[in-house]
Amino acid sequence: MIACLLIPGFELRVALRSRPRLAAVPAALAPPPGREPVLGPVTAAAEAAGVVAGMRLGEALATCPELALVDPDPAGAEREWEGVLRRLEDSGFGVEPVEPGVVVFETRGVERLYGGVEAALSKALASVGPAWDPRVGAGQRRFVALAAASVARPGQAVIVEGEEERSFLEPLPLSLLPLEEERYAELEGLGVRTLGALAALPGGAVAERLGQEGKRAWSLARGGERRRVRGRSPAAELVEALSFPEAVANELTLRRAFGALLDRLLARPERAARPFRKLALSARLVSGGSWRRTVTLREATGERGRLRSALGPKLMEIPAPVIELRLEAVELAEHTGQQLALVAPEGEDADMRLREGLRQVRASAGGSAVGAVVEVAPWSRIPETRALVIPKDV
Amino acid sequence: MGRDTGVPQPEAGRPGGQKRFSAARAGGGAPGGTMGSPTQLNAPRPALVETAANGEPHLVNRELVTVVREEWRVVDRWWTEEPVDRRYFEVVLESGRNVCVYRDGDRACWFMQRA
Repeated sequence: MIACLLIPGFELRVALRSRPRLAAVPAALAPPPGREPVLGPVTAAAEAAGVVAGMRLGEALATCPELALVDPDPAGAEREWEGVLRRLEDSGFGVEPVEPGVVVFETRGVERLYGGVEAALSKALASVGPAWDPRVGAGQRRFVALAAASVARPGQAVIVEGEEERSFLEPLPLSLLPLEEERYAELEGLGVRTLGALAALPGGAVAERLGQEGKRAWSLARGGERRRVRGRSPAAELVEALSFPEAVANELTLRRAFGALLDRLLARPERAARPFRKLALSARLVSGGSWRRTVTLREATGERGRLRSALGPKLMEIPAPVIELRLEAVELAEHTGQQLALVAPEGEDADMRLREGLRQVRASAGGSAVGAVVEVAPWSRIPETRALVIPKDV
Repeated sequence: MGRDTGVPQPEAGRPGGQKRFSAARAGGGAPGGTMGSPTQLNAPRPALVETAANGEPHLVNRELVTVVREEWRVVDRWWTEEPVDRRYFEVVLESGRNVCVYRDGDRACWFMQRA
């Protein structure tokens, strides 16, 4: 079965860890600087006061003047989420993270180990720990698992068997679907308020009225596609951090600190001389929030000078004085060295370089970003039907 | 000189409306988008086109058309629920760029596409 573990408002929970007092009052995750002024997750007290996630800042403050805004802590959220994933992996689950707070995994491989699906799900909940209020759902398809997790109570596992899928999904609200705000309003205006009502409509009519997005929502309302879970390759834990006795805003000091972190990271024996493909630079800010930038290198390297010139300019983007600077190797290349070419590469060598390039693209833009063009009807008079781009494994 | 609305109308009043319309009718996003499943290559994109009295493009995305190089029609799939009726124009813009646009006969709106 496919299971989905859900921690609602994960980023808010992380941000509230350093300010637990705010958990009991109306509070919401502030929008990141420079983004649309829309609220992130909100506390239960804020919900009771009429504030909901996704509300515009001005509207939220007008609704609840005492609403406290919590600065997001993206570095903290990433660190804590990585911890959750690792605890699941330590329990034997091959996890595929969807976003912070949502992860899917297959239970099939560990069912015999733990004595059944229910026991495996209990183990997953226990490995994450009750502090995060995780809930888990399981079904034959991803969306069913997500829907089951979203109706489960904290610490509860909801299992939906194949034949129950339809009756389970029918009464659930449309808010589970990944639709834009105006689409919900449009559907409600048409009298469609539940997944069952949407699923009962003819697919062609939904696509005609709501487009591709609506067609996908309609497909999800009927359970969604059967896509297997692809467990991630666990990341290497290579992190170096430097805490400052006083907050630092001076660029020169930050550059020196970054140089020291880089030297320490390069000297780590776990690296085994492998070059870095992707690095993350993060900082804990004096204001209580955090800052993080991830850099994917055009070519995997372990050269100090090149790493400095790739990451150094990012230090200028730090918005406030820093009390801790961290440098993390997110992904390492598999090779340990690269033979320079005397003659232009061709054949196998060129192929290897191409694959390396594609791996870099995948590391930068995500697992399914590399595609292959397949001609399906090259003779067609309709240009868009001549070829398809299909996801490709490298 | 006649004036055509150009951009597909049903979503034109809303932010991001064009994008949705394009995805809806073209059956998928651009190749660079998220690719969980196969996507179409060379999907048509909505274009803002003003036409001359004879129906030929005069302005494409607010750029003046200097030459209409070629014109042809594609009428296909008339036996299905999604018939294709397009009048293609290959034009040269003031900047020297060569582009292909077509007017969709069913929906009375313009798209840009490499032909």
